[in-house]
Amino acid sequence: MVETCYIPKDLAEALRIRKETGAHPIAGGTDLMVSHRRGTGVVPKFPWPVMIITQLKELQKIEEEDGEVSIYAGSTCHEIEVAELVPYQVRKAASLMGAQSLRNLATIGGNICNASPKGDLPVPLIMLDARVELVSATGKRQMLLDEFIDGPKRTKLQDDELLARIIIPQPKAPFTYLWYRKIGTRRANAISKLSMSAAATVDTHGIIVDFRSANGASGPKVARSRAVEETIIGLSVDRLAERLPAFLDAYDVILSPQAMPQYRRSSTRRMLEFFLSEVSKRPDTTIIE
Amino acid sequence: MTRDIQFVLNGKDVAITCDPLKRLLDVLRDDFGLFGTKEACGEGECGACSVLKDSKIITTCMVPMGSVQGCEIMTIEGLRETARGKCIIEAFADGGAVQCGFCIPGMVIAAESLLASNPEPSEEDIRLGISGNLCRCTGYDLIVESIRLAAKRGNGLW
Amino acid sequence: MAKKPIGTPMRRTDALTKASGAEKYLSDMHFDGMLYARMVRSGIPRGTITDISLPPLPDGYRFITYKDIPAGGNNELVMIKKDYRCFAEKDVRYVGETIGLLVGPDRSVLVDLLEQISVSYEEQVPAVTIDEGLACKGGAFVGENNLFCDFTIHKGDIDAVLADAHRIFEDEIITGWQEHVHLETNAALVMPDGDKFVVYASAQCPFYVRKSIAGLLNRPYEDIVVRQTTTGGAFGGKEHFPDVLAGPLLVAANVIKKPIQLVFDRHEDGAYSVKRHPSRTRFKTALDEQGNILGMDIDVVYNAGGYESCSYVVLQRGVFHATGVYNIPASRVRGRAVATNTFPSDAFRGFGAPQTLFAVETHLCHIAAALGVDPLALKSKYFLRQGDPTVTNGHVFEKVVIPEMLDQVLQASGYKQKVAEYKRGSGKGIGISFYNHGGAFTGNGEQMIIKAKARLHKRADGFVEILVGSTEMGQGLQTAFTKIVADTLGIDEDKVLYPNPDTANVADSGPTVASRSTMIVGKILEGAALKMKERWNESEDFFTEDEYKHPEGHPWDQVTFQGDAYIAYGWGVCAVEVEVDPLTFEVVTKGIWSSHDIGVPIDELVVHGQINGGIIQSLGYAAMEKLDFHPKKGFKQVGLSDYIIPTSMDFPSQGASLVHNPYPYGPSGAKGMGELVFNGASAAFIDAVSRAVDKDIRAIPIPPETLTELMA
Repeated sequence: MVETCYIPKDLAEALRIRKETGAHPIAGGTDLMVSHRRGTGVVPKFPWPVMIITQLKELQKIEEEDGEVSIYAGSTCHEIEVAELVPYQVRKAASLMGAQSLRNLATIGGNICNASPKGDLPVPLIMLDARVELVSATGKRQMLLDEFIDGPKRTKLQDDELLARIIIPQPKAPFTYLWYRKIGTRRANAISKLSMSAAATVDTHGIIVDFRSANGASGPKVARSRAVEETIIGLSVDRLAERLPAFLDAYDVILSPQAMPQYRRSSTRRMLEFFLSEVSKRPDTTIIE
Repeated sequence: MTRDIQFVLNGKDVAITCDPLKRLLDVLRDDFGLFGTKEACGEGECGACSVLKDSKIITTCMVPMGSVQGCEIMTIEGLRETARGKCIIEAFADGGAVQCGFCIPGMVIAAESLLASNPEPSEEDIRLGISGNLCRCTGYDLIVESIRLAAKRGNGLW
Repeated sequence: MAKKPIGTPMRRTDALTKASGAEKYLSDMHFDGMLYARMVRSGIPRGTITDISLPPLPDGYRFITYKDIPAGGNNELVMIKKDYRCFAEKDVRYVGETIGLLVGPDRSVLVDLLEQISVSYEEQVPAVTIDEGLACKGGAFVGENNLFCDFTIHKGDIDAVLADAHRIFEDEIITGWQEHVHLETNAALVMPDGDKFVVYASAQCPFYVRKSIAGLLNRPYEDIVVRQTTTGGAFGGKEHFPDVLAGPLLVAANVIKKPIQLVFDRHEDGAYSVKRHPSRTRFKTALDEQGNILGMDIDVVYNAGGYESCSYVVLQRGVFHATGVYNIPASRVRGRAVATNTFPSDAFRGFGAPQTLFAVETHLCHIAAALGVDPLALKSKYFLRQGDPTVTNGHVFEKVVIPEMLDQVLQASGYKQKVAEYKRGSGKGIGISFYNHGGAFTGNGEQMIIKAKARLHKRADGFVEILVGSTEMGQGLQTAFTKIVADTLGIDEDKVLYPNPDTANVADSGPTVASRSTMIVGKILEGAALKMKERWNESEDFFTEDEYKHPEGHPWDQVTFQGDAYIAYGWGVCAVEVEVDPLTFEVVTKGIWSSHDIGVPIDELVVHGQINGGIIQSLGYAAMEKLDFHPKKGFKQVGLSDYIIPTSMDFPSQGASLVHNPYPYGPSGAKGMGELVFNGASAAFIDAVSRAVDKDIRAIPIPPETLTELMA
């Protein structure tokens, strides 16, 4: 008899169930239990078998190895928010997701695999070139998170795979300037209308040796373009002002024109302009606000 | 397709046989008769169904019973029997925090969760701490004041 | 020891049971054999039902429709108007109109069945917006012109004023729908009780429910016993709307003979319950060469939705508040409530006044901006004073303490200094608004229509019971009434009991609406308590009763709408300071200060809570509570993750003060206040934002994306 809901006791069992039944994992429940609810006193119903993986200890850790930070998929937003190992923008994004009660439940694995265009965590993670590690009963593989998320609500997760962890590599040199901003529906407990993560590294000669920027809630998936970023990498901050308009125009093109394009585009433009103009002043503080 | 699930509810070991996807909220209300946990939005936005799970605040409308095995759940009915719970509830009553009351049990849980990690919260800390609990009556000011009052009176409780 | 003033805060009578989670609300009630109900509703905005296809219903499940209304019963819910049908029959007027009620023992099975019910329609073109309603898009469906009502009030000769004006300043102000978001959703339970029926309802007005639904079964009112259950917020949303639940439940209980409970989930409540009327107010304001206002020609249209319900009365209040707190020498106000294929609009805190008050305040700010003067300077010239004629050619009866209130707000907010400091367009702004609210029913409604009574019971055990139909819904009425009675009798408050009303044994003190309960019913209770005091030493238990007495000297003509529309007003001044983020156009509110004249507060802490809550609800209305409408599917933001109300982080703590101005006909000098405190903060906020960005704002709400469009 095919079960509708499994509760594996460890990752190996979860992978076996996944392979045999294709059961979808439920970790925090904050997306799936809500999107499949059927009202008070009625058990949520799913069109596929599910497995509750909330208690799988193997998926609940955050660790550093060889300079790379691994956030395992069952880590909650709260755990990420308070983890000193985790880069600033990821912690910040985690801290601004929903309410405390939600952050105690919602997991990074859920936020990524849900692949909502409004998802908060993929934005800084994609900016940081994060990779995902996918495991199955027969093996594991890694790919860039940016590739893993295919589009709205779509990922490259295979039917026998689970997301095990997110790996954040270290930048070549530590970022000198960081930016994170979420425009939510309100000042707390908010869904993202637009979010932006950016980082820059300026060397001692005033040369921009690294620059990245990613936008969330601005299109079907997180918007980032290495080609556009490269147009200002290698520049001296003194020359940033003259290149800025062309850069901003190019960046604008990577945003998907859909609902409220004007607002998302113009806010993004103002935020980028602000961040880069701050960077060009080479302030002593790392976090630009 | 049911499961036997054991957990600790308000300090007592309990067991229930139910669908593992049944919401903790429905189990608390329908199976244990703990009606202090309210349903107001059903999607984790309003905090009316908040309880403490292993001392952390969660919204029970999102929680499948299958994830509760072995956990410690404390509802308003448990909290109100503790010195901390009494202190918060009395402060809410004295501070004028209660109007229609529907959000209030969840607010009391949020206050406990906040004070447990931050016994001397600033106004900003309190506002952040209850920002997952929607209230339509009070405009929050008197709730904030009441939590400040509880913190002051609690002197050592947290 | 000196007697303490009545306003000294006491612990609310309901605080501990609510805070400890012990209080029982409707969804916490269970009866043996109780069944559950789910509504089957129209899925289209306008058309004719051609077929309802049901799955086979298991034993114990029933589908109830208008066909189950017994012979002699009428398929109507009697609100103020009788036009609201209990069940749609052939045609449907809006998405969400009740078609039937599915009843059975298992909620899970009900959901399965609900998913298998399909209704077929012949669709018609709907009219959704005010303009579409007025244009009778798709053909009129109410009368010949889609107007539920259309009336005009005159003061002076506005045509002559407009003809002679140096300049006519035209303006148009738009407000959107607003959802009540009482944290407890709508809920009711009906059970047969011998020959009668008992209705439990989360409701403001138990006697309204009884009156509304008894005719469905062709029964006398007494056969329907309504017991209010502890109500988790209402704000007007549970004034008439409980009828829409209780009616079908009554029809079902009559057939099935078992207790049936209906509790809306949040998405149902968001999508399929009444809302605040959207409005469009147009001004033609006549100015002389010096910029003095000579007169206002105002055209008010409210979107009433598919049924009239109480819209005519809501509109009256809107029209009677259309010139705000100002003595405008000449005015003409036309009001229209237009029928559209949207969910009916209904009562919501302020009851029509917030829309026009927002409009006139904002309009005056636009004139001030055009004249290059501070809005405060312009508005101050026209404040109503005692004895001044009102918009309906009545008179302001009381001393108007706006100057005193204004002083308090100016001082607390640092308004003048900030105005000087924050230049228009600087990203920072402070705004100010003035507002009032006519207490109790319009005109002579209390005397002619409501005729309220109040009853007290002195029990043998020494306790005094308050027996009135007025309800606690969070506003603090139990506490206020307890204090009034205890104070009058000179006994401890804990000797006074005020259980939730049951229509079988309380006096009909009128509906809990219109900011009338403390001012009107409180006064009647005071009268009943005085009678009780005279008999206090009687050994047997006894009842005393008193009734409403209308103060002399307040002429009112309900046909021409001339005279004293209200006997007493609450008054308010509110200042709001904002900062607009230059990158994101998010508006951060930096300060909120208010002063109110509510006569004398019955409990300072209860009043404080009402002020705080009303102002935040009003700020939400202006800032963030966007409710869009899809012409074919209805409201778009139906859950609390989409319909955005303020959290504790969205607005800072408030400065609030009062100016005591005792009202001679209120208990201990009290006037109404529950709605007043909603009426003005939205205009102050928009004034502040408007100054910060140096743009006129003509529509609310104004989330950042809308502000961005304005700035483009």
